[in-house]
Amino acid sequence: MARRSSDGSWKLFENPTENRKLGTITTAATMRPSIRLLNLEVSSLQSSRTLYVCSVCRQETPPHPLLARQFLRHASNSGPLTERMRRKIWGTDNPPGMKDPYGESVLEKRFRKNPPKEQEEQPVETAQAVEAAVEAENEVVPEDIPVGEAYEPATTWEGLSRVGHLGRWSDLPASETNRYESFTIKKKLTKKGHLALAAHQAAVELCLMESLNKPLTSICEVVEHDKAVFKLLWGCKIQPNAKWGEALVYPDQETKDALVYIFEQIGSASETAVADEPAEAVEESAEASELNEDAVVELESNSPAPHFFGYADVRDKGYLSLPLNDLDTKFAFLKRFSQLSGHFFPDPTIHSISTVAQTVEYVQSVVDPKPTKLADYLSGNQKLQNTSNVKVFTKRQKRSDKDEELGRKKVIEAELRERGFIE
Amino acid sequence: MPVQGIKAVATARNGVGAFILQCKRLDFHYCDWAGSSRGMNAFLKHTLPSFAKANPQIEIRVSPRPHKHPVIKGHYINGREKAICVRNLEPEQISNKANLLKEASGEKLKRTKKPIASINESVRGIWSPYHGDNKTV
Repeated sequence: MARRSSDGSWKLFENPTENRKLGTITTAATMRPSIRLLNLEVSSLQSSRTLYVCSVCRQETPPHPLLARQFLRHASNSGPLTERMRRKIWGTDNPPGMKDPYGESVLEKRFRKNPPKEQEEQPVETAQAVEAAVEAENEVVPEDIPVGEAYEPATTWEGLSRVGHLGRWSDLPASETNRYESFTIKKKLTKKGHLALAAHQAAVELCLMESLNKPLTSICEVVEHDKAVFKLLWGCKIQPNAKWGEALVYPDQETKDALVYIFEQIGSASETAVADEPAEAVEESAEASELNEDAVVELESNSPAPHFFGYADVRDKGYLSLPLNDLDTKFAFLKRFSQLSGHFFPDPTIHSISTVAQTVEYVQSVVDPKPTKLADYLSGNQKLQNTSNVKVFTKRQKRSDKDEELGRKKVIEAELRERGFIE
Repeated sequence: MPVQGIKAVATARNGVGAFILQCKRLDFHYCDWAGSSRGMNAFLKHTLPSFAKANPQIEIRVSPRPHKHPVIKGHYINGREKAICVRNLEPEQISNKANLLKEASGEKLKRTKKPIASINESVRGIWSPYHGDNKTV
């Protein structure tokens, strides 16, 4: 804020609050000089019109009064050119962002160090005007804002306190209700053998539940069996084209007794009991099924638990022909299979599935999608691969390919390079 | 003076002793996206294996030609080539076109003006002034 002091010289107030306040009173004196031109002040002995001179004129004689007035009009209050441009671009007198995008000038820095001195030189008469302005403002300002605190309107968001609800769900620490446990396994099964194992296990379990007249879907309470129990399930066979309740063929009586004992508890007892007891009950019968252990891959204890305890594939294929015509059985089987394999089934697929084999086929088709490009299909076609006179290209054959095939590509490129057409 | 036939070496007649197929290569171009290649794609999927097996002397090349109509191109041992556009054709029609190219000689098609054509020389032989009636000059 520039103001003429008692001694006739023009001074600037650094405090923007004061500037604003005074602006309400002295509307005629709201013209603010450019800070960069402060040091170019002409002494007060000169005419009041010749307030500022440019650097050229300063070296010479005092400028013509008319010229000086014109100069004043352009340089008085608008600030530097960049500031005027910003105001014009934004269309307001108070544009957002930094005032000077190129940083603070040396003149401004120097000016900032001096303000206390200039404040002291503030004339008495202006001080009175300031007091009057403060009084006038106090009447308008609401009571909850402390009086005398400098209010500075923000032009950017920087430094402002955050507005809004801070106690959002994401801001709060995790609670017990936020804990999520997946119904299915964490990673989807992709190997063909693993999918067969999952389907076989689900089929054997449902056959058992069906024969025991238990609710079928209650098997989903047990996400993973003990290794010994899984061995027993793996050893069971299923008669093709039989009913669910009668299809199961046990390897021996001990296995049957153990599995019946275990599965009788699934619907009624708690899961922990189910998980603990089978290990003890099955220990004896587990030895009997060790005949097939050559298929089991021994893994170190450090590595994460492998799917199906390292079993690679199923011996029995009879489960594939089990029908899924009954809706309850179908639902229970698909639910259990989804849980074991990690694959979900869309409604149209569920509607069209009628056997276990179709279920496995669908999941395998999802895992290995058909090639969309004809070239990929033809490359995988065994019949075409066996014929020696067929060549399948995956990309378009161009003239350069023909040149390469005929052995003249190198010659052509060498000639072009010699002429400087290619690098 | 007994009449003597002109000595001539027997010229090769393709198919008399042996038959050499004139078509040496067939190129099948298709597009994955365009609908005009639907028949061609079906042909390549289902009919091409048997076609290739039946014609082992022809080299078959299959390559995509994106955003273009499907084409069968035949290359012949006389250096010429023939191309047939098979857009929107059914697989059976495409199979016919492939057979047409396979059986073609590679020569340009010519209009036959006369009902009989022969590559044999005339049975009357070449005229000679020393044969036949003695003419007094």
